[in-house]
Amino acid sequence: MTTGLKGPPDVGVPVDYRAALPSGPRRLGTRRAVLLLITVTGVWAAFHLQLDPRGLIPDGGGLRLAGRFFGAALTPALTYEASFVPEGAPPFLQKVINAMAVTVSFAAAASSLSLIFGVPLAFVSSQAWWASGDEGAGARRVIHAVGPVVYGVSRVVIGLSRSVHELLWAVLFLAAMGLTPLAAVVAIAIPYSGTLAKVFSEMIDEAPRDTARALRDAGAGPLSVFFFGLLPRALPDMLSYAFYRFECALRSAAVLGFFGIPTLGLFIRESFTNAQYHEVWTYLYAMFALVLAADAWSGRIRRRLVA
Amino acid sequence: MSESPEQLARRRAEVKHLRARRPRNWFGRASALLAVGLVVVSWLAGGFSSSDILSSRRLTNLRRFMTEVRPYPLQREDTGPSRASAVWEWARDLLAGKGLSAAWATLALSVAAIVLAGALALVLTLPAARNVASAEPFGLPGTRVVPAARWLWTGIVVLARGLLTFFRAIPEYVWAFLFLSMLGPQAWPAVLALAVHNGGILGRLGAEVVENVEPAVPRALRGLGAGRLQVATLGVFPLVLPRLLLYFFYRWETCVREATVLGLLGFTSLGYWIDDARVRGRYDEMTFFVALAASIVLAGDVASAVTRRVIRNAD
Repeated sequence: MTTGLKGPPDVGVPVDYRAALPSGPRRLGTRRAVLLLITVTGVWAAFHLQLDPRGLIPDGGGLRLAGRFFGAALTPALTYEASFVPEGAPPFLQKVINAMAVTVSFAAAASSLSLIFGVPLAFVSSQAWWASGDEGAGARRVIHAVGPVVYGVSRVVIGLSRSVHELLWAVLFLAAMGLTPLAAVVAIAIPYSGTLAKVFSEMIDEAPRDTARALRDAGAGPLSVFFFGLLPRALPDMLSYAFYRFECALRSAAVLGFFGIPTLGLFIRESFTNAQYHEVWTYLYAMFALVLAADAWSGRIRRRLVA
Repeated sequence: MSESPEQLARRRAEVKHLRARRPRNWFGRASALLAVGLVVVSWLAGGFSSSDILSSRRLTNLRRFMTEVRPYPLQREDTGPSRASAVWEWARDLLAGKGLSAAWATLALSVAAIVLAGALALVLTLPAARNVASAEPFGLPGTRVVPAARWLWTGIVVLARGLLTFFRAIPEYVWAFLFLSMLGPQAWPAVLALAVHNGGILGRLGAEVVENVEPAVPRALRGLGAGRLQVATLGVFPLVLPRLLLYFFYRWETCVREATVLGLLGFTSLGYWIDDARVRGRYDEMTFFVALAASIVLAGDVASAVTRRVIRNAD
């Protein structure tokens, strides 16, 4: 052999490796089909949106703007960038810290609300909740009659609450009664409750069942089995996911600033519109700091609980 | 089998003893305390009072909204007896006028963005994975590696990972602002904003998947003399593809939601018409478009779930 490749080891018996390969005409495998589908729909989307590669080339002004924006990343503003500062405005950094505090408080309030609604919803939309234990015949009949209905309704509630983005909930509230802080919190909490319920119910259903089975065999009632046998096994995952959702809530709270809530998003938008890119970066760094802190916290909890 | 009183007492004492000796997680307790404190302080100091939301002005607003949210033909007195057909016509006109084209635009935007994000992630995944982007990919035994090569590869990994972090750290709406003011009003800013942000997320997830790949096959290929790119395309890619596709579709679900919302920034997806209807005070149209957006999201979720199941069940 002249190539650098070594052949298969000589085992003494001639082996026809081709026999092991699939024969006949090549079928279109699942993965290939999916990749093909992605490519085709991608091309369709590009044509539908009339995406022209020439549109990607910014003119001189656009390039200068990008340069100024990314150049400002190294020197975030520490004081107001504008030459005119209204009377009585707090120092710039004070304003940033206030915005951070408001963002955190919205995220915390929305997260707590979504837990209050999401956890019971998760219970009734998990299959384990309705798995019949050793109740009496009457109770079993009731559960068999009510269970599927409640289960189905809770699944629909989860689907509907999740399918409308928190910003659209905010638009709805804005139109219905004006976006008060409480309405903004509820706007975040609605889809978040749905997501928590969906993920929590999956975690409960996927939790190891051995403890639950042992408790049931020892004669525990269905509620005891659920709360002391099943739930504790899913709890670490649920807690770490709840903390992750808090991180997401921080981002959502920031975005709600677009509707005038004084979170970081409002000031990012204002400063961007005024082309005060140094200020934009200060707010962005403030956002990164919040998200990183939440991420570090949830990461430590995950390592403590799950590992 | 009943226990005597002293047996019961002994058992109780045992349980008490076990409970006293259970492992305590101080960090977890401190975290729980901090979380509860944060929530309480937020509710107390955040100004989320319900008196404001229940003020008479807002309740009047709400009452008006509840009448105006009904389909327009139902709000008019002179619709006549054929209410159902009038509502049907109302819905059909909304769909034909803006709804369908905006729905398709939303869908196309999400697809274009996620395909671009996937391509971006695919390019950056390999240089960001420490087992592929290494001076000795998958630990090839018996080669001498010069330190410079090692530094070079570390540099490549740091660069790729830094780029991915940068892409996903900046929120999509900031990317959208930026591209919008760079490129002007067209579809690209919205597509790019979603693509860059999600590309950062997908690339990071992908790099993790590649790093966790079972090294037997890549090592065997390496031992047979395959180059780095050959190992990556023939040994790693087929192994990680299902996982990558799962993440791809999971992020696409998010993209559909975000594509709707980006309309609030001016791109003519559903969000644009939702906000437009709100500004014009046509709450019936607004709710109709919100419902349309919700049904697209639901359809996207179902399509994604079906595809993910197909991928998971394949071979």
